Amino acid sequence: MIRHLFKLIWNRKKSNFLLITEIFFCFLVLFAVLSLVVHNVRNYSKPLGFEHENVWLLTMRPASDSTELNRQNLEQVLQRTKAFQEVESVALTTSNAPFAFSQMNNNLAYGQKEIMANEYLVQDDFKEVMQVQVSQGRWFGRQDDASHHQPIVINRALQQQLFEGEDPLGKLIPRNDSLNYQVVGIVEHYRPSSEYTAEEPGFFVRIDLPKNENAFYGELLIRVKRGTGVAFEEKMVKELSGITKDWTLEVSTLEKMRQNKSKLAIVPLIALAVVCSFLIFNVALGLFGVLWYNISRRNGEIGLRRAMGASSGQIYRQFIGEVLVLATFSLLLGVAFAVQFPLLQVFEVESAVYFIALGMAVSIIYLLVMGCAFYPSRQAAAIHPAIALHEE
Amino acid sequence: MITLKNIEKVYQTKTIETVALHNVNLHIPKGEFVSIMGPSGCGKSTLLNIMGLLDEPTNGLVEIDGTPIGRYRDKELSQLRNQKIGFVFQSYHLINDLSVLDNVELPLLYRSGVSAAETRRLALTALEKVGLSARTKHYPSQLSGGQRQRVAIARALIGQPEIILADEPTGNLDSVMGEEIMNILLQLNSVDGTTIVMVTHDENMAHKTERLIRFFDGQQVSDAKTATHEFQKV
Ligand SMILES: Nc1ncnc2c1ncn2[C@@H]1O[C@H](COP(=O)(O)OP(=O)(O)OP(=O)(O)O)[C@@H](O)[C@H]1O
Ligand SMILES: [Mg+2]
Repeated sequence: MIRHLFKLIWNRKKSNFLLITEIFFCFLVLFAVLSLVVHNVRNYSKPLGFEHENVWLLTMRPASDSTELNRQNLEQVLQRTKAFQEVESVALTTSNAPFAFSQMNNNLAYGQKEIMANEYLVQDDFKEVMQVQVSQGRWFGRQDDASHHQPIVINRALQQQLFEGEDPLGKLIPRNDSLNYQVVGIVEHYRPSSEYTAEEPGFFVRIDLPKNENAFYGELLIRVKRGTGVAFEEKMVKELSGITKDWTLEVSTLEKMRQNKSKLAIVPLIALAVVCSFLIFNVALGLFGVLWYNISRRNGEIGLRRAMGASSGQIYRQFIGEVLVLATFSLLLGVAFAVQFPLLQVFEVESAVYFIALGMAVSIIYLLVMGCAFYPSRQAAAIHPAIALHEE
Repeated sequence: MITLKNIEKVYQTKTIETVALHNVNLHIPKGEFVSIMGPSGCGKSTLLNIMGLLDEPTNGLVEIDGTPIGRYRDKELSQLRNQKIGFVFQSYHLINDLSVLDNVELPLLYRSGVSAAETRRLALTALEKVGLSARTKHYPSQLSGGQRQRVAIARALIGQPEIILADEPTGNLDSVMGEEIMNILLQLNSVDGTTIVMVTHDENMAHKTERLIRFFDGQQVSDAKTATHEFQKV
């Protein structure tokens, strides 16, 4: 019977061509949107690698160009913030703080390999402020003051891409002609960009204020005690303004920044999903209409099959079966196209994402066509054979 | 083979009630070739549909091989149709998207336990019987009317039914092609012993069969052995 259905659909491929292409494109759109959704959901479910609650970001923009004065103010700000009773720990960093709209990257080379990685400049206390977990080796600190190398902590993604199987601890990576980075520790995860961003290779570089007399860092991460609110924020900004005078100071909670970043990722996704649902609804409607029309056109055939001994159940199964065969033709084409993405690695997305999306898209298409075929097929099965033959 | 007792068929539509058959009593013995004649609209097709289990009478009893079929469900009726009855229609009713061979194989798709190879073999045999062995790969649109009807006959006989119900099988054909079809049916009846009930408007055709039943306005008006037949038998 299945062979019979394939033959029937194959011989009617011309009239079924439109339906097949429609299902094919519907599948592709579904596959694309689902890949995106699965990618985001998978990222979301992975650890960020830090605790952002109760952490504030103080952004400082100096008004004057005087390096000396700015540096003086910065050190006073550091002193004063640490001294607040509400503050647990603070760490300077650069504009690529967690959930900020800024990125910094650098080429790292080891052996024959060279990769692009995110670079995070942070003070020693960053580990406490962000509660980063070191899984191998250690975080950098005072003990590195005497080192000839610049200590760095790398994330697992960097280790896998740059060192592959090798143990990276103690390994040197040239920074410039006179200075090497030295790997002192590894963190499993660090995804500061957003909850929906995939893990990217990245490394932490130590900010050593005493060693860099003229350096200035405009972002201060502040971990406050649980329950500290806006009142303290106002008080802190007021006091710090007393030190920095006409600097621009801005405070934002990382939670707020996280929400902003999430919105940015989610809103287009929702828009896409809505467009996609409309498309699928349209395809479903079209499919339903065509199937409905086909069945009324095929009255004679239905009557004939009934006369030849097909039961009403067999007619029902034939019509459902035909649609499934039709969908299978489209899906064969669609899957052949879709598997190119993981095979050719068109985007830097894990293959698993594509395969999950593929499986979901295939299932949804089958469910969709069965849903559309259900009612028309039941109508076909209910046609009285004598009447069907009579009408022809 | 088939017995009809007090058959009544009423078509009920919103506005009118049509009595298509009234008080029909018939017995078709095994091996007989019966023709049915009557003016248009007198209920011939309705009668054939009831005999072929495609339609149910409003009142009355249909017996196949002595078993009343009143209580059968759709599935069992379908199986009975598949195994015992072959249909031939005036308008052939071939599926245009299937080749001649595939069309002929159709009834066996609905019979369990017949392999694809066996089905193919039987289809070729059936096509040979109607003289169409050379046209198996053709599609219905590539055939003449007579050839199409021969395909339909091959399809009716592939399942080796005990009875063939033919509703104006030569109605769409010219006299030469009609003659061909008639000869095939006569052959089937005399050689294979297949029971045949044929509706026709053609007196000549009717007189080639054993028995002629005339209908008028839903009722039998005559039922007699044909002269030709008597003559042939002598
Ligand atoms: N499905 C139906 N609904 C209502 N009336 C019907 C239906 N089928 C047939 N009839 C009526 O029943 C009567 C018998 O119809 P039937 O088709 O059996 O005639 P027929 O003898 O085969 O005619 P013809 O020689 O033209 O084929 C006609 O009056 C017809 O209008
Ligand atoms: Mg008729």
